[in-house]
Amino acid sequence: MSELQTDRARFALLPIPRSIALVWLNVVLSLIVAAIGLGVGFSQGKLAAQEVILFTVLLAAVLFILLNYVAVVFEARAAAGDQEQTDAESGRIRGLWQQNRVMIIAMAGLLILYLLITAGVPEFRSIKNLIAFLVLELILVFAFKVSGYFADGRSAFIGLIVLFALIVISSFSIEGFLSASNVRAILLFAAFLGIASIGQTMVALLGGLDLSIPFVIGSSNIALLFLITVGVPSYVAFGFILVLGGIIGLLNGIMSFRLQGQALIVTLGTGFAVAGFTQIMTSIGSQYAGNVFGTVPPWLANLAAMNGRFFGLPFPPTIIIWVVLAILLIVGLRITSWGRNLYALGGNRRSASLIGISELKYWVACYVISGVFAALTGCLLLGWSGGAFIGVGDPYLFTTLAAVVIGGTSLLGGNGGYGFTVIGVLVLQVLTSFLLGIGLKYEWQQFIFGLLILPMVALYGRSPHIRSTV
Amino acid sequence: MAKSSSSSNAYLLVPIALIAVLLSTAVIRGPSLVTPAGIGSAIIVAAPLILATYALMVLAVAGRGTVDLAVGPLLAFINVVVVKLSTAGYLASPIATFIVAIGLGMAYQLLFALIIIFVRVQPIIVALSGFLALTGINLVILPRPGGSAPEFMMSWGSGTSIFSPVLLIIVLATLGWYLFTATTFYSNLKMMGYDERAAWTSGVKTDIVRIGAHLIAGIYVALGALCYTALISSGDPTQGQNMTLTAVTALVLGGVALSGGRGGATGALMGAVSLWLIGYVLATFNFGAIQAFMTQMVYGVILVLSLLLTLLVPVISRYVSFISPWSAFLVLGLVVIGVMLHVATSGTYGGAEHHIVQGALADRYFLVPPARFGGNAGKFVSGTQWMALLAGLAAIAFVATARLINAEGGARSMGLFLYIVVAVLILALFAAAVIQPEFRLLGRGG
Repeated sequence: MSELQTDRARFALLPIPRSIALVWLNVVLSLIVAAIGLGVGFSQGKLAAQEVILFTVLLAAVLFILLNYVAVVFEARAAAGDQEQTDAESGRIRGLWQQNRVMIIAMAGLLILYLLITAGVPEFRSIKNLIAFLVLELILVFAFKVSGYFADGRSAFIGLIVLFALIVISSFSIEGFLSASNVRAILLFAAFLGIASIGQTMVALLGGLDLSIPFVIGSSNIALLFLITVGVPSYVAFGFILVLGGIIGLLNGIMSFRLQGQALIVTLGTGFAVAGFTQIMTSIGSQYAGNVFGTVPPWLANLAAMNGRFFGLPFPPTIIIWVVLAILLIVGLRITSWGRNLYALGGNRRSASLIGISELKYWVACYVISGVFAALTGCLLLGWSGGAFIGVGDPYLFTTLAAVVIGGTSLLGGNGGYGFTVIGVLVLQVLTSFLLGIGLKYEWQQFIFGLLILPMVALYGRSPHIRSTV
Repeated sequence: MAKSSSSSNAYLLVPIALIAVLLSTAVIRGPSLVTPAGIGSAIIVAAPLILATYALMVLAVAGRGTVDLAVGPLLAFINVVVVKLSTAGYLASPIATFIVAIGLGMAYQLLFALIIIFVRVQPIIVALSGFLALTGINLVILPRPGGSAPEFMMSWGSGTSIFSPVLLIIVLATLGWYLFTATTFYSNLKMMGYDERAAWTSGVKTDIVRIGAHLIAGIYVALGALCYTALISSGDPTQGQNMTLTAVTALVLGGVALSGGRGGATGALMGAVSLWLIGYVLATFNFGAIQAFMTQMVYGVILVLSLLLTLLVPVISRYVSFISPWSAFLVLGLVVIGVMLHVATSGTYGGAEHHIVQGALADRYFLVPPARFGGNAGKFVSGTQWMALLAGLAAIAFVATARLINAEGGARSMGLFLYIVVAVLILALFAAAVIQPEFRLLGRGG
């Protein structure tokens, strides 16, 4: 029992493995990577020295914590693994195939895909792409063979590996991928998608879905500019739109509570209604049907535009907003009783209601959060683009869902968290940037996104065979 | 058995009432609906939606929360491929076109089913993945709307008469479903959708049943895609998302349970028709610039309201159990037909007297255009249309007989009839090949 408690303690904010040698190894590794980062930072030539040093220190610290976490997980698994010695010498080939068939199939699939693209697209035939392909195959092996050691964070681990591989491949094959401006752009778009996915994650933790997010984004986008143009003070309008988003979420939550299996359709319906209603309201008395023209206040533009500044630092404050929200959510869901109750409800409704957790309260609250953050995304996107457009939310119809799913939050509820979604968002954005960089058009990107979701989910999100549920 | 079927039918009350109200409004607001051309174009415009809703219905009945979000992009995909092939000159004959379209639909759905069964990912994720992939690939195949449909389809989409091949497709698709409901396979499907574990434990081969459901859905999507191609006479890669959203709405309006096990062609048909009627009624009001927004808002509100109504259905049906959906259908149908006849004939009575004298009774009441208006054509139905009409009537008679014999015999096995249908279809194929000497399955016809 005490053993278990010390283990719990080791998973605290700063995890520390038992063996000191591992700690030193981690320190050395972090320092090496930090030194490389320092060199790369100075070689850019454009960044100020203070910024490079700041980022290097941050990188080293984060890397150190992550490495320690990995080490602790490995120690726990190794201790557990010692006890369960497996037998089974008979039928080794068969067993080998049984254990590794998914990996083999995935690798073969990748090989076929590579050969097909190579045969079809002449520009694709280059040594860089071959290296990239081999790295991908290696990652598959790594993901399958090593990720087994992680019980909980398996999806997060695979996501991180994919993210890392994508960054390596892109920086090899694309000129200027790691330049400050490109990284800033990736982070900015990741911030938009990340804020929009907050609600989707919360709702998915309860086993629901919210398809009204894109419509709320588009509506808040044009409604905010409309209100500003009419003459409402911009701060008041901003707050008002967030409240409206919350009200839409409230409606969604209350109406879908008794129709939980069909939350998808209910939210789609409210989304339609909201988008139509907003367009009607904004086009009353104007000759441009559905289009709103006006000027965005400077503070809002600075908040989200690519050249925005955060207290003098050269990146838009939206990224900071996202980081703060992410930390709040990740920590909040882990340590507050509200967050634990949410997981309990998602895991098992009946047990949760038996210990006195109100299902309605949490369900509605999650939808309200979803509405508020969708509205926030719409407002930020207005600052980014400088012009209002109802279709601005359309790409978010399925990408929020894709980010949640790729991150590893189960759509059935009770499993996952916002940290996973952050990884999913980053994977999606880096992949987009990579595909743009190698010159693929939007439709090919969408095609690849579609094909990517399945294997990612198949790696960790498989439901049990019906045989084992009877 | 009778009890459960009546309670599931109670969900049809919502679409029946909705259709009655909408149809009366539509007829009063836009009397041109009640003309051969009006009904003909209505059928052609509504056909893709109806068939897509059928496909969704089959999958929804199969359970596991299968809402195939990719139905719209798949429809657009088949449309785009057929148009691309026919523009390149590869698809000249109807049979080749049907084979290509249905083959594509079934192949995609087979893949879908295999992924669900063997990779064991939730269907909604597979559908999402398919949605993104197909939307992307559609734009790759045909970057912008264009191209031309196969030539034999050109006359389909004109919508000048009621008896078009599109109507025949809808009739055959609906009849096919009713023939299918008489099989054991269908009861296995319903059982699997309602409770997959129970079905599995009682020996139903759920994997095969699931594959079968997906193949049927693939056929429906392919037929819908062909009707869509005939409607727009070209390829359009961009309409997939709208089609998905409308078809899902129609599915819910038709009282099909997204959780599985409950649903039928009647409900899906009514849902699709009432959705089309909503659009028609809205189009008769003149909202000016905000027309599109109004339509969008009303769709959303009706979607949510009809979902909330399905919550009330069990409560309502407890108190008004004496109202059977079919009697409601009969009464409301009679009322609506009365309204339609009044609108269709009101001009006749009011104005020129000689119409009554000259026009035969059938001319006015069966909505057939008087022959005197057509100068050159003595017959108002062409040869092909006669063939289509006869085939449709024969199919209706066949299904009715089969269902009757089945009900009398009390057996749930329809194997013989299915074999007969397949044999007749194959024979018809050969007959078509023999009768048309210039018939070629694949090749650059012209």
